[in-house]
Amino acid sequence: MEAWRLPLSSSIRGKLISAGYTSLSSISSVSSSDLARDANITEDEAFEILKLANQSSGSSSYNGSGSLINGAKNAWDMLHEEESLPRITTSCSDLDNILGGGISCRDVTEIGGVPGIGKTQIGIQLSVNVQIPREFGGLGGKAIYIDTEGSFMVERALQIAEACVEDMEEYTGYMHKHFKANQLQMKPKDILENIFYFRVCSYTEQIALVNHLDKFISENKDVKVVIVDSITFHFRQDFDDLVQRTRVLSEMALKFMKLAKKFSLAVVLLNQVTTKYTEGSFQLALALGDSWSHSCTNRVILYWNGDERYAYIDKSPSLPSASASYTVTSRGLRNSSSSSKRVKMM
Amino acid sequence: MKPETLLRRPQTNRKLTTGCKILDGCLRGGIPCYSLTEIVAESGCGKTQLCLQLSLCAQLPISLGGLNGSSLYLHSEFPFPFRRLHQLSRSFHQSNPSIYANDNDNPCDHVFVQNVHSVDHLFDIMPRIDGFIKNSGNRLPLKLIVLDSVAALFRSEFDNTPSDLKKRSSMFFKLSGKLKQLANKFGLAVVITNQVTDLVETSDGLSGLRIGNLRFLCSSGRRVVPALGLAWSNCVNSRFFISRSDETIWKERSENDESGSSYVSRRAQRRFDIVFSPYLPVTSCEFMITREGICGVQA
Repeated sequence: MEAWRLPLSSSIRGKLISAGYTSLSSISSVSSSDLARDANITEDEAFEILKLANQSSGSSSYNGSGSLINGAKNAWDMLHEEESLPRITTSCSDLDNILGGGISCRDVTEIGGVPGIGKTQIGIQLSVNVQIPREFGGLGGKAIYIDTEGSFMVERALQIAEACVEDMEEYTGYMHKHFKANQLQMKPKDILENIFYFRVCSYTEQIALVNHLDKFISENKDVKVVIVDSITFHFRQDFDDLVQRTRVLSEMALKFMKLAKKFSLAVVLLNQVTTKYTEGSFQLALALGDSWSHSCTNRVILYWNGDERYAYIDKSPSLPSASASYTVTSRGLRNSSSSSKRVKMM
Repeated sequence: MKPETLLRRPQTNRKLTTGCKILDGCLRGGIPCYSLTEIVAESGCGKTQLCLQLSLCAQLPISLGGLNGSSLYLHSEFPFPFRRLHQLSRSFHQSNPSIYANDNDNPCDHVFVQNVHSVDHLFDIMPRIDGFIKNSGNRLPLKLIVLDSVAALFRSEFDNTPSDLKKRSSMFFKLSGKLKQLANKFGLAVVITNQVTDLVETSDGLSGLRIGNLRFLCSSGRRVVPALGLAWSNCVNSRFFISRSDETIWKERSENDESGSSYVSRRAQRRFDIVFSPYLPVTSCEFMITREGICGVQA
């Protein structure tokens, strides 16, 4: 909030600003005598200004407890907010459980694994599931799918969308007859229409698109998930300057985090794996290097264990390390039906 | 380039038929356009046969599962099987009389062959391919690019040192990026063949890294892995595996058989597996190579 918005006479305003008090927070944190001395005004005038400043900041701040710094929240309010945050289901309840209910909004989640493990499948499943209406426990939002590799196949997305609609129709059978009045209006074709699909063919296009997302999402406020499949492909080519690559990647990561927080949406970045030489042997690691690993809030690694696909929470500020198995079926991601599966807590 | 133009309305990609209904059934129509498909096999399994067949099928009209286009066959291994191509072309001509108006029409006219001897050479000819596609003129537009094989391009030039391997890795992504760009710009189907190497179990266990639906890949009774490693696996959209195994068939002596002896015949059984694909379920199919080309065997 700028000081010049305050309803003051222009001479007093000019004195305030030339003394360096340009924002409300700077005014409200100072006492009236200091303000009078700095701005060369009388004590009464300073007192009036402070009263006005506190009134304005009181109406525009987040909470009523009058925080000094604009935009600061206390942890109690943050806890309330986080608990009420919607999550996007993955259609696999075991996977949802280790994720704390699903992919969380306002977070950047990175999912990586070997080719063929199901990264694109998870991406498509999430872009369909975000559209599940609120009456069915979903977000009723739209999806942005940024395809850098050309793995998105419309017929597969249609298959998953049809299965989702069938599941919802089956569910209405169990719903209370009061709610049944809302017949399921959604058709698989509508689901496909609500996925904004971008095809990116070079790293310059990728950067330009990420910069453009803010404007796009401002115009399409019901987008609730942004999926990038994959974030790495165009960055594994020859970058003459590795420092530049790191800088570009961290800027991109920052933009995604800002998008997630600003619009309360989930950002899901799909990553590839590479081999890294650590501690005398070759290990599998997510691509893009060590500096990139700081860029995401949550990190999930997909891997094979025998004939089963597993997901492992590698990094999360709130979730315990755990792994769960899942399968990829013709209807999309589902629980694996093997009797030996169980959620393993590390 | 405006970011807004990157927003697309995704459409179902056209598929190129393989010329065999059973194989097409496994692939839900055939090889997809706008996508890089890799065929991994040991030498002598039939990947070149399949590629030659695809090059001819590309000329079929769309109603018959073709792309109504010509194909570009980039080969890095010598020699190019011209004779086999002509043989296949003749039977192709015979089995599709409706398309080839007179006997002088040669399906081979729509298959363009170019030799590539190194990766740099391939990058050099990329702009020429771009120009070739744009200036089609009277001929059928290019719709299929086959690269046979990618392994041969890389295997001789790079040493086994970490820095060379890193350079090689970034070459993979550069090559794959360019091919995908072409595929996306012109709606091409791109088919790349790859070789296999024998699996040598090492103590760190990474050489047996599982990629895809099959626990391990077996051909001619040996465990194999696709060449070029994990980095290249990340560069393709789909991977198919062709394997062969020698099946021994005992034939019992029949009552009317005068020679009175039982004999053993060996038949090479060829198998087509889907290792990974963004839209296909795990399927497998047996096939044979005949004079007319590849044809699947009903299970």
